[in-house]
Amino acid sequence: MRSPRSAAAWLLEKEWRELLASRAWWMFLVLIGPLVGISFIDAVRTYAEASGLNGTTAGVGEAFSPLIGIWAPTFSACEIAAAFLLPFVAIRLVAGDKQSGALKLETQHRMSSFQRVLAKAAVLMAGWMIASAAPLIAVALWTWYGGSLHPPEIASVLGGHLLNAALVVALAAAAACVTEHPSTAAIVTLAVTVGTWILNFAAAVHGGLWEVAAGYTPTAMVADFQHGLVRLDVLLMATTFIVALLTVAAAWMRPGVPVRRRVRDTIAAAAVASVAVLVCTVPRASWDLSEDRANSFSRSDEQALRQIDAPLRIEARLAPEDPRRFDLEHRALSKLRRVLPDVDVEYVSATSIGLFEQSNPHYGEITFQLDGRSAVSRATTAEGVLDTIYELAHVAPPAIADGEIFRGHPLAAPPTGAALIFYGVWPAAVVGAALIWRKQA
Amino acid sequence: MGPVTPLLRISNLTKRYGRVIALQDVSFAVHAGEVLGLIGPNGSGKTTLFECLGGVLPRDSGELLRGDRPITSAERLQLLFYIPDSIAPWPSQTVRWALDFAIGFFGGNRERRDEIVQRLGITPFLDVTMGALSKGQRKRAVLALGLLAPQPVLLADEPFDGLDLRQTREVAQVLREHAMRGRTMFLSIHQISDAARVCDRFVLLSNGRSVGEGAFAGQDLEEVFLALT
Repeated sequence: MRSPRSAAAWLLEKEWRELLASRAWWMFLVLIGPLVGISFIDAVRTYAEASGLNGTTAGVGEAFSPLIGIWAPTFSACEIAAAFLLPFVAIRLVAGDKQSGALKLETQHRMSSFQRVLAKAAVLMAGWMIASAAPLIAVALWTWYGGSLHPPEIASVLGGHLLNAALVVALAAAAACVTEHPSTAAIVTLAVTVGTWILNFAAAVHGGLWEVAAGYTPTAMVADFQHGLVRLDVLLMATTFIVALLTVAAAWMRPGVPVRRRVRDTIAAAAVASVAVLVCTVPRASWDLSEDRANSFSRSDEQALRQIDAPLRIEARLAPEDPRRFDLEHRALSKLRRVLPDVDVEYVSATSIGLFEQSNPHYGEITFQLDGRSAVSRATTAEGVLDTIYELAHVAPPAIADGEIFRGHPLAAPPTGAALIFYGVWPAAVVGAALIWRKQA
Repeated sequence: MGPVTPLLRISNLTKRYGRVIALQDVSFAVHAGEVLGLIGPNGSGKTTLFECLGGVLPRDSGELLRGDRPITSAERLQLLFYIPDSIAPWPSQTVRWALDFAIGFFGGNRERRDEIVQRLGITPFLDVTMGALSKGQRKRAVLALGLLAPQPVLLADEPFDGLDLRQTREVAQVLREHAMRGRTMFLSIHQISDAARVCDRFVLLSNGRSVGEGAFAGQDLEEVFLALT
């Protein structure tokens, strides 16, 4: 005799069975294997070719970080799957009840619509974690080849894609609940995804507030995680968006509630989320989980920089599309913000590409102001920026200990067996599992 | 014998779709243990009325009353269970699982499961998915979900639609038996002959208004229908 289960447990079972009954889900699962496979095989080949050159000196050590060389490209398949496959699985699961009329029955239970949406989201995330087996097989293969593994890096990349998937699920759920038809929901979801890409493009061209906003798009978020950087503000912001989108989905999953009230609830959720988003930008804590400290200065430099208490103001005369600005931001300033408590950076430019500002003698200058003193430099490397700051702060540049230099983990091994596993075994196993499920159900 | 206190009263229920008035000031009473039929021509607002009562469509005004007190949404969920017409819930799941789900999720009556399955003739297609059922089979399966639900009042929209004569009679008999056990049945039926076979009383709806309510004992229901609608 079955033991009594709660309504929530029944609902979770129902959602799980609906997911397994969905062809979209099995198609998603079949495709993610080859997607991960092609990325992994290419990455391992490129890594092996570079390793074969025996370039293991400190200068090129960064090139032999498995995080950048293997895991970022391999897991990027998850980003493609999240953008183009997962929304359809989510929309099918969320909108299916509305299409079949099951929602009219289920809403006659006292359970809140948020709980209902949460059950769907939880099952979809469980489905995503099953799909994550594909990149985890790549991790196992890499270890089998003799590759170096730094577990915090894998955790960072996995976590980033998990958060991205949760965002996609929440967005698709909201779209499926607000719109009348699943095809409209799919268009809305893809439009938002494309919209964030346009935002990234606008940020690259115009800089300023666009750049700030683009720092919180799913693409930027995943990029941070893929580089081993876990930022508290990004985590909080993503969580806020997820909760807000699920709240909107729940507001529209109430067929018996007047549309006017659903609109009012949506506006209220958007207003609360907007305030929360602003608050989320305040925390500056972050964690660099990369083995090569790709997002941090060396420990000696960080120790030296911590002696500086005064606010540092930096004015960089570089246009948004100038590659030197990218270098300055990613090689120096992003790391500086993680160490110094008070850094204010301002980019100044009259154009977006900077090409026609070269005649201005001050274009390219970076002005540092600290404690009433100022210095001008044109160096955009980490070393150049640090030297200027040390000089300005009267802090002696530290000696970098030999042990602090990341030497990299070269591996000249071919991707043996990966093609067979990702192009053959994985799809066959998924199809087999689908057939077994169909037979049992 | 004094006047019977109704289990539920619907008072001045109005529903508009934009400028179209689907229901206007509809009022009537539902008595405990009766089989009440909602009859009316196509487009008279029967389904809209049921959707409003079932809580799956918002009403513009009007109330559901117990005694003189409007019932809350939570009370409505405990009192009424609505079976919509033309739905195919959980199309990928078997009828057996759907019934188990209805019992588990809604807190339905597990002891009556086998009896309801047998009386509605569902046994042969228990292991068929809901989406693969014929219209009549699906109607009976969905009706079983409603009969298993624990609420004392069952609203069924067109419970005989898609059923042949024999099945209609069998289902009507099952509904009457459940009413005799104390469950209140409120059925929307567009076939007057079917309504006459199963219902104790009737509410007549025409152009979104309730134009008559009663048992119409000794009268030809079809003539009453034609006269009032």
